[in-house]
Amino acid sequence: MLEEYKKNYAQSVNQYLIVDTEGNIKESDDVIFKKIEGKHISDIHPFFESLTATLTEKNKDLVFSCIHLNDEEGNTIITDIIVKTFDGKKPPLIVILDLTVHYNNYQTTAQVRNESVINSQILELKNEYLKEKEAFKNAFIANFNHELRDPITGILTFSEILKKTGLTDEQTNYIKVMDSSTNYLKQLIEDILDISKIESGKAEIILEPFNLHELLDEIAQIHKINSEKKGLEFITDFNSNLPQIVGGDKMKLRQVLSNLLSNAIKFTEVGSITFKASLNQTRARKANIHFEISDTGIGIPEEDQNSIFESFKQLNHSYKYTGSGLGLAIAKHYVELTGNKITVDSTVGKGSTFSTNLNFRIDPSYKLEKSNNEETSFIESDKKYNILLVDDSEITQLSVLKILASKGNYFLDIATKGEDVIPKVTNYDSPVDLILLDIKLPDINGDEVAKLVRKLPEREHKKIPIIALTARVFKDDLKKYKKAGINDVVKKPFDEDTLLTKIREHLK
Amino acid sequence: MKLSKKVVLIGHFGVGKSSLIRRFVENTFTEDYKVTIGVHILKKDIQIPETNKDVTLVIWDLEGNDDITNTRPSYLIGTHGFIYVFDLTRPNTYKNLEFDLNYIKERYPNLPVKVIGNKKDLVTNEFIKENKEIFKQYVDLYTSAKTGKNVEEVFNQLAKSLV
Ligand SMILES: Nc1nc2c(ncn2[C@@H]2O[C@H](COP(=O)(O)OP(=O)(O)OP(=O)(O)O)[C@@H](O)[C@H]2O)c(=O)[nH]1
Ligand SMILES: [Mg+2]
Repeated sequence: MLEEYKKNYAQSVNQYLIVDTEGNIKESDDVIFKKIEGKHISDIHPFFESLTATLTEKNKDLVFSCIHLNDEEGNTIITDIIVKTFDGKKPPLIVILDLTVHYNNYQTTAQVRNESVINSQILELKNEYLKEKEAFKNAFIANFNHELRDPITGILTFSEILKKTGLTDEQTNYIKVMDSSTNYLKQLIEDILDISKIESGKAEIILEPFNLHELLDEIAQIHKINSEKKGLEFITDFNSNLPQIVGGDKMKLRQVLSNLLSNAIKFTEVGSITFKASLNQTRARKANIHFEISDTGIGIPEEDQNSIFESFKQLNHSYKYTGSGLGLAIAKHYVELTGNKITVDSTVGKGSTFSTNLNFRIDPSYKLEKSNNEETSFIESDKKYNILLVDDSEITQLSVLKILASKGNYFLDIATKGEDVIPKVTNYDSPVDLILLDIKLPDINGDEVAKLVRKLPEREHKKIPIIALTARVFKDDLKKYKKAGINDVVKKPFDEDTLLTKIREHLK
Repeated sequence: MKLSKKVVLIGHFGVGKSSLIRRFVENTFTEDYKVTIGVHILKKDIQIPETNKDVTLVIWDLEGNDDITNTRPSYLIGTHGFIYVFDLTRPNTYKNLEFDLNYIKERYPNLPVKVIGNKKDLVTNEFIKENKEIFKQYVDLYTSAKTGKNVEEVFNQLAKSLV
C-alpha cells in the first residue's frame, strides 16, 4: 500500500496559492492553473466559492479530499485541496494536489463495489417478491379448494341418495358417470391441495404405527378392480418376510403407492401390472422395504424420465390421458420428504418399472390395531339419538340430514352459529348425544365452541362427544382440535359410511 | 455580487443524485451508472419563481454512502441547504431515512432539507400509497431524473427557502 501511495503521490503535481482573506489570489505558481494571479479563487472553480468564509478564520487547517476540478484544457482532474490560515498576519495558503491517477484507481474499485451491492439488493428484492407471490398462490389454492369441498360433498351425498330411489338402468348408468366425474374432481382438488402444501413447505411426515399387510392388501384390492376393468392382469408379490406393524406415514405411503399404480394402469393398454414389496433388511429397529410397480405399457423415453415428475407435466403434454398429472410429482415429493428416491426404469413400447426403498420403524411396543369390524357390532337399537349439527353451510346441513334420516334412529338439530350451541346443549328437554361441529363458523371458531362445551358445569353436558367436520386437517389443526376437547374429526368432503361409522363409534 | 448558495445532495449510492443534477443543469439523462467518488461541484443560475430573485446554486454532488455517518465533514462546511435523495425501488436506501434525517438535523438544525424519492418512473402510485406510513411524513417530492418529473421543482423549492 505504501509503495502504491508513494508512486501516486510522486506523480502528483502540486500548486501553491497565496490568497488574501477575501479570496483574491496574491501569488501562485503556474503548475495546474496558469496566470491566475490577481483573479478571485472562485474564478478557478465553483468549489472555491464555499472557501471564502473560512479564509477569514484564524489558524485553520482544512483538507478537502477527492475534489473534481477542470484544468485549463477542460479535462477533469481529481485533487486534494489543503487550506491553511494563520494568525492573521500571514496570508492564507491553498495547496492543490493533483491525485487523478490515484483516484482513478479508487473509482474503478468503487464502481465494482457499488454495482455488486446494488445488484445483490435488487436480486434480494426480486426473490422476496417471488416468494410473496408464491405464498399468495398457495394460500389462494388452499382457500379455494376449501370452498370446493362443501359442494362436492353435496353432490356425492345426493347421488348416493338418488341411487336408492328406484332408478331405471339408464338413469343408474348416468349416475355412475356423474359419480366417477365427481370423484375425479375430488381427486383433482386433493392433488392440487397436496402439491400446494408440498410447495409451500407445509407437508410433513407423520409417524404412526400401522398394519402394513392390511394397507398393501387394501391398495392392491382397489387397483386390481381398476386394472381388471381395463382387461389388465394384476399381479401382487408381497414377500412373506414383510413386518406387519411398522411405524411410518401411512397416509403418504398409501398415496405414493396408489399414485404409482394409477399411473401404471393409466398408461397400459394390454398386459399386466405387477405390485411387489419385499424386505431389504432390518437394522437397529429400522426396516428398509423395497416397493416396485411395473407395467407393460407405453414406456417413457429416456429424455422424459426426469420431467414426468414435474407438476402439471402431463397437462402440458397430452390430452389422451386424463388426470391432473400431479400424481407422480406428489409421490416423488413425499418419498423425498423421507430422504429417499423413486427410480424409473423404462423402455418405450415395453413398459416401465418404478421402484423405491423406504425406511419404517420397528418397535416391539407397537400393538396391532383394533380390528375395524366394530361397526357391525353397533346395534341399531330402538334408541334414538339427538345429534346437533353446527354448520352454516346449507349443503352440509342437507347432506347430514339425508344421511341420518335414512337410518331412522337419529334426530337432527341444527345450529348455524357458535353462540347457539351452549343454549341447545344445556336445554334439558332434548339432551344432545353428539355434536357435529364445523370449524369455520360465521361468529367464533368451532374449536372455541368445543372449549366452551368442555367448561360447562354439568358432567352430562361437558362429556358430549364432539366430532369436527372440517377440511382443515393439517397437523397443527388436529393438535388444536384435540386441545379444545374435540374427540374426532371427519374430513370434508365425507361420504355416508365415514360419517356413520364415526358417529356410531362415539355413541357407544 | 450575486447571491450564491451551496446545496448538497446526499444519499445512498446509485439513488440518482448525479442524474438529478445532470437533468437539472444540462437537461440530459443516461442509463449508465458512473459511480461518483469524492465530490463534483456544479453551478447553475436560477430565477426563483414568483419572487424573480436571481440566485446561483453551487451544487455539491457527493459520493453515495450507505452510512451517513461516514460522510466527510469537510464537504459540508458552508452548506445552505440539503437535498436528501433515496431510491424508491430499493428499500435499503430508505430504511434508515429517519436516522439519516435526524443526523442532518442535529448537526445543521436551521438548514432546509428536501427529501426526495427518486426513480418515480419505475414505481406505481399504488406502491407509494401502500408504503405511505414510511414516506408520507418525510418525503417532499417524488422525482424522476429519467423523465424530468419534479426535478426543477426540487431545486426551485429549496432555493426559495434559502433566500
Ligand atoms: N429509471 C430511472 N433511473 C434512474 C433515475 N435516476 C437515476 N437513474 C439510474 O440510476 C443509476 C444511478 O444513478 P446516479 O445518478 O449515478 O446515482 P448516484 O446517486 O449519483 O450514485 P453515486 O454517485 O454512486 O452515489 C444510473 O444507472 C441512472 O441511470 C430515475 O429517475 N429513473
Ligand atoms: Mg453520483
